[in-house]
Amino acid sequence: MEDLLFGLFLAALAVMVFVATRKLQVGSAADMGPGYFPQAIAWGMLVFGVFFIGKSFVIPGETILPPHWRALILIPLAVGVFAVLVMPAGLGLASFLAMVLASLASKETRLLEVIIFSAAISAASVLLFVKALAMPVPIFPW
Amino acid sequence: MELFDNLMLGFSTALQWNNLLFCLLGVLIGTAIGVLPGIGPIPAIALLLPFTFGMVPATAFIMLAGIFYGAQYGGSTTAILVNIPGETSSVVTCLDGHQMARQGRAGTALAIAAISSFFAGTVATIVIALLSTPLSKLALRFTAVEFFSLMVLGLVAAVILAHGSVLKSLAMVGLGLLIGVVGIDVNSGAARMTFNIPEFADGLGFVSVAMGFFGLAEIISNLEKPSERIIVSQKMKDLFPSMADLKASFPAMVRGTAIGSILGVLPGGGAALPPFTAYAVEKKIAKDPSRFGKGAIEGVASPEAANNAGAQTSFIPLLTLGIPSNALMALMIGALMIQGIQPGPQIMTEQPELVWGVIASMWTGNLMLLVINLPLVGVWVSLLKVPYRLLFPAILLFCCIGAFGINNSVVDVWLMLGCAVIGYFFNKVKVETAPLLLGLVLGPQLEENLRRAMLLSGGDASVFFTRPISAVLLGAVAIILLVMMSPMVMRKRKEIVESEE
Repeated sequence: MEDLLFGLFLAALAVMVFVATRKLQVGSAADMGPGYFPQAIAWGMLVFGVFFIGKSFVIPGETILPPHWRALILIPLAVGVFAVLVMPAGLGLASFLAMVLASLASKETRLLEVIIFSAAISAASVLLFVKALAMPVPIFPW
Repeated sequence: MELFDNLMLGFSTALQWNNLLFCLLGVLIGTAIGVLPGIGPIPAIALLLPFTFGMVPATAFIMLAGIFYGAQYGGSTTAILVNIPGETSSVVTCLDGHQMARQGRAGTALAIAAISSFFAGTVATIVIALLSTPLSKLALRFTAVEFFSLMVLGLVAAVILAHGSVLKSLAMVGLGLLIGVVGIDVNSGAARMTFNIPEFADGLGFVSVAMGFFGLAEIISNLEKPSERIIVSQKMKDLFPSMADLKASFPAMVRGTAIGSILGVLPGGGAALPPFTAYAVEKKIAKDPSRFGKGAIEGVASPEAANNAGAQTSFIPLLTLGIPSNALMALMIGALMIQGIQPGPQIMTEQPELVWGVIASMWTGNLMLLVINLPLVGVWVSLLKVPYRLLFPAILLFCCIGAFGINNSVVDVWLMLGCAVIGYFFNKVKVETAPLLLGLVLGPQLEENLRRAMLLSGGDASVFFTRPISAVLLGAVAIILLVMMSPMVMRKRKEIVESEE
């Protein structure tokens, strides 16, 4: 299972590189174009990919435990919310929401503790990055 | 007395008050990172990289280096006191160090670990100073052909000595090379794999990639594991080891330092290999090997010395040749490039204050660690009580702000997010991500040197085998690969990797 997934990933990546670099000039070994090196590496990736796919059928590896969906969804979501909100709504709100959302990924989280802690760290971040390090980003939505 | 002059220059840089201050800051952060089990030096350094933009290169580098060796110290503290290796490099210290703590000799174990590290750090500083000049002089004669072969050797050796499957690690290097390709090709001006995103024209942000793969992906993976309760109930007494303890551990310190210094220079050496080797050697030459694992003081002194010596001498290939020997050194190269310094043998002559300042700062940094760490042990241990449920949202936020802060652009945050999801996938299918960083950092230079070498030779690849230095380097690559493929080595390697886990 592990090898199969990794092999598929590499093969898909190689195909993606071939597609993305199809318009680039490849050139010759003596005068390499911009497409030469990436395509050469992509061939290597394809070989690795096929090898791992083949290996997975010969030697069945361990089965992979299903992912912990709560963390897998909430952590990227928290980062995404930060990215969407930081410019329009300001660093303070974006930080606070990102931290609260991320905290929900853990089963041990206590709501009140999270809100106080997130507010404190967000405020500290605003002071540190915007006030002290002069990062050009709004603090508040208004 | 060129060496003496160089060291004087180094100390005059390292002893400037702001460099001392940032060195102190670096070792303090490093120790904290080393103590905290959820976060290692790679994400920590990636996280701090954006904040070093405004600093003088030497100051930035001194602080980042301090984090690296500070983390080795911190990792040993938790290994001894609570049997949790903060870093892989301190796994062996758990064996005898924690046994000593259980026998009520925690103070002695900590002191011996610190003294061994300091001793090794001092020797390693001298080793670096001695080796750097001749190596960089040799490297100045290198052409594109030799550089290409050297990078291939660096990449292959680093992969082989890392954990996990060799083939998977090689595939990860390839992935890193591909990520390194993204952006405008310097020779033709063509946009490569930028997917029409203007921000990608300058290449994918190194810091965002590193934070995604190592900072965020780690968090998602860590949340899958049930959290462990950590009980700390050690009473500290007699921090000063007796003369008998010092006498017993001194020869072990010397041996560990020698082993660490040699292994650290090798590509892929870095921090993980030396302590394991040093412990194995101590056990082999001991009169009574059965004492090991039951609180033998040599079992603490030698690996600790090796670990620190190796961590420091792994800077030699970086400073003299511009080749990182492990993922952490790749990050350091990234730090140099962000400062606009092209890594390579010329930095010794072009940036002498930087190189010698960093070398000298390792000694001052080690001295600081020795002085501040023993009295502060209680503070570090209390850090262990910070629960992960509070730690990870804060790390996540700093990753977001850090990624955003590089160019004040959310594109880097999205890039980090993508890397985090892919990185989690790699953790899930048990592929070591670290080799990717090496490929990413070396990729552009590797391509550039390959293109230049092939252009000069008119497309004749045999030039790599007819030039003597290049032939030797590639011969080493071939030998390494052949040895690794032999069944006996593969089995032995598997055992070591498993025992590390």
